[in-house]
Amino acid sequence: MLDTFEILTTSGVVLWSRTYVPVGANIVNSLIRDVFIEERIQPQSEDAGQKPAYRKEGYTLKWTAAKDLGLIFVAVYQSLVHLTWIDKLLDNVRALFVGLYGEQLAKEHSSVVDCQKFGPYFDRQIQELEGASRGASSTPNVKLTPPSSSNDSAGEESPSLPVLEKSQKPLYDTSADSTPVPTPDTSRPTTPAQSHLVTGKTRPGGKLSRKDRKKSALNNSAPVSSGDEASTKRKLGGKAAGKKGRTWGEFGAEELDPDVVLDYSSTDIRDANSETEALEEIKPETWGRKTGKGQFVLKDLDEEMDAIIAEQNSKKESSAPSSGIVGSSIGAIGGLFRNVVGGKTLTKEDLAKPLQGMEQHLLKKNVAREAAVRLCESVERDLVGLKTSTFTTIESTIRTSMEKALTKILTPTSSLDLLREIQTVNSSSRPYVLSIVGVNGVGKSTNLSKIAFFLLQNHHRVLIAAADTFRSGAVEQLRVHVKNLKELSKREGGEVDLFEKGYGKDAANIAQDAVTFAAKNGYNVVLIDTAGRRHNDARLMSSLEKFGKLANPDKILMVGEALVGSDSVAQARNFNASFGPGRGLDGFVISKCDTVGDMVGTLVSMVHATGIPVVFLGVGQHYADLRGLNVGSVCRLLMS
Amino acid sequence: MAWYDEDSWATAAFAPRLATMALTLALVLVLPILLHQFVYRRVTPTALPTFLLVGPSGAGKTALLTLTERKTVAPTHTSTSPLTIETLLPDGFTPSSSQFRSPGDPAYERARRFLLVDTPGHGKLRHFATAQLVNPTHVRGIVFVVDAASIAEEAGLTEAAEYLHDVLLALQKRYTGARTSKGPKEIPVLIAANKLDLFTALPPHLVGRALEKAVSEVRKSRAKGLKDSGVGMGMGGEDDGVDEEREWLGEGGEGNFEFRHMEEVGTGVVVKGGNVLGGEGTDVQAWYEWIAEQL
Repeated sequence: MLDTFEILTTSGVVLWSRTYVPVGANIVNSLIRDVFIEERIQPQSEDAGQKPAYRKEGYTLKWTAAKDLGLIFVAVYQSLVHLTWIDKLLDNVRALFVGLYGEQLAKEHSSVVDCQKFGPYFDRQIQELEGASRGASSTPNVKLTPPSSSNDSAGEESPSLPVLEKSQKPLYDTSADSTPVPTPDTSRPTTPAQSHLVTGKTRPGGKLSRKDRKKSALNNSAPVSSGDEASTKRKLGGKAAGKKGRTWGEFGAEELDPDVVLDYSSTDIRDANSETEALEEIKPETWGRKTGKGQFVLKDLDEEMDAIIAEQNSKKESSAPSSGIVGSSIGAIGGLFRNVVGGKTLTKEDLAKPLQGMEQHLLKKNVAREAAVRLCESVERDLVGLKTSTFTTIESTIRTSMEKALTKILTPTSSLDLLREIQTVNSSSRPYVLSIVGVNGVGKSTNLSKIAFFLLQNHHRVLIAAADTFRSGAVEQLRVHVKNLKELSKREGGEVDLFEKGYGKDAANIAQDAVTFAAKNGYNVVLIDTAGRRHNDARLMSSLEKFGKLANPDKILMVGEALVGSDSVAQARNFNASFGPGRGLDGFVISKCDTVGDMVGTLVSMVHATGIPVVFLGVGQHYADLRGLNVGSVCRLLMS
Repeated sequence: MAWYDEDSWATAAFAPRLATMALTLALVLVLPILLHQFVYRRVTPTALPTFLLVGPSGAGKTALLTLTERKTVAPTHTSTSPLTIETLLPDGFTPSSSQFRSPGDPAYERARRFLLVDTPGHGKLRHFATAQLVNPTHVRGIVFVVDAASIAEEAGLTEAAEYLHDVLLALQKRYTGARTSKGPKEIPVLIAANKLDLFTALPPHLVGRALEKAVSEVRKSRAKGLKDSGVGMGMGGEDDGVDEEREWLGEGGEGNFEFRHMEEVGTGVVVKGGNVLGGEGTDVQAWYEWIAEQL
């Protein structure tokens, strides 16, 4: 059952909402953050016929958007419930809402949309779709509880409220009246939970509701009290009559009493039976009458609704093909003209070719194919249905949109401030632990020393742990680095030492020992170098989980080289997943950026694969050649 | 065929021909119309003063905007795009520019009108706000909305301080980078400490002090931090000046940062408290008063 339906703008204002069960605002917020801003969850393509779904805290959210008007339609329901008609509902509501309020929405400098009258339309849609799905699947669906609050953006009380009430009333009246029997008037004890549920379920459909009732009656272990239920009628009645004739007649007088009682009950049941029969006879009539009464409103609403939806759909279709030779040629010329002047509504076909070019361009910049395709798709999603502004061609529109997409993907959600974090961690009197992982030969040790140099410049006491116990010369290499750094930092006031345990030991244990050693000896920062490992070797990667648990680093950075091509995606993914659930990478260091010129696509590929920001760039051979990421300049390089 | 021949175009252009006359007539009639359309296309009669709403995500920017526009707070979610509304200063507040006008005066009504621009506060979407700050032509003031309850925690404080630092630095750069000796128009900043109805919220003066401290921390770590890749990578950096001096917020980056340091670069910073939502109704009087002062 649907919990909440919201219509909101991209700027965050909820225009209209219908709440059946209150859902925390954080659910929708996290949808917006994860899907629309950070694009952490990749929306599936819509040609599968399914709207993308997002799960959070036991809720499933489905959404659709009207981009040109900046609207998002979100339906929230419990993940346990499987609702098949949500997609259709979203589509219909979008068409309706855009059709009804499109003009208001296009208004500039305003966020107010007077859509108080949308309630009845929505209710009608829900009823229709729910009814249709029930007819098709015949699975018992729980009827929606009446809305606890329907609030609308305009907020103010409007004179049109009674109209809304009136048009809503018939809907509920019909459903209440057409389920004739289980009204409290009968005042008989109803079977507790189940039958109650069923009565809640019953709907003007008639046939099905009776079936349900029958089912429930059968399920009930004690059907006696359900004399009010019409469905128990014949079976029970017949049985009772049979019993009476055969068994009870032969026993003593005292047993005649129950007999009488039984007889009584049976007549009672018959009474009830006849009563329901009568009611059932009336039922279609009452239904009709009620609908007849409500029809004026309902039918009107229905027709209007259908018209709007049809109009919206036809608009969508007509925008794609133009009919006739004359029409098409005029359309073609107009399209050419518009391409130069602007004001052309973009379709998928218009975008296909330039986007292909854009993809090629990105591939040339060493962006992995997967990332390039996704970027192009996001640009396409962004642009389809939009109008180009005046005097801009499609190409330049795509360009700006791509720049925007790149900026968005590369900009970190919160920037990493290493020095500040070290300060915070140290204030709780423990060393800040940073470890570095990566594939062989990408420059782990080199970048580690660069980071150490940077920290030494800021007067930290740094301990470098040689946890690469595998490769020959790895420890000696670090020793040389430490010696150099000591020389360099003598004047600055920093202090650096090496923690080593030789070769062949378990890296995780060494790391742990290093952390305890550092805590004991008053080091601020522990930098842990690890052995390089191939990302698709499960044996080597599995040791990382233990490493992560024992050393428990505050930050795990992965070094990736800018030279690597499409493998970067898999590298980033595998390393991110290797630390077990609940732990992942915290950032990337992209090394060897100076060797690739403007082909810095690796940055994009890695961030695209994981959503983890790039923290440092290695741009040279010296200790000082470590840089923070400047999103603007990287975008410029990629687009040049 | 030279231009002076009898059937050349020059002769035709000056000859009393029908075609020439028709063409001239058409030109005379159509040209002014086209010219008019070109010149008068999309020129708003007057530019309204603009106030910019910035601040970290979840501080209550959009809620404040809806409150200003429709006097009640609409439910809101995380914004992903900016929103501009045109609104009137609420009754009871007089714009400082028209203090001596009577309420019936049309000029008074005009002075109360302003634009409020809401920007998304999510870390990835701050470029909407920073783009506005680079060239703030009609911006009269910036309202930096913060959640006074989240300021009490380290993470919230850091995020707010970093954003505030960037905003203030952009304003300072605009002032120091001005070409004229007069300097650009002042853009004051209001730090609106929102959600004071919450139990855990800090009082406004503490919000101010905490932010001052955190901004100086940010400035310190920025000073020590690594250089941008734009500088080091040598490419793409040329056009915006490789050896451009880095600028430090307030008094050359020395000592502790205080908001009054900003006054010398044309940016007065004040902290005022209020709450958009809340059990006992809303309390945004102080903020409206501040807006009225700037109008």
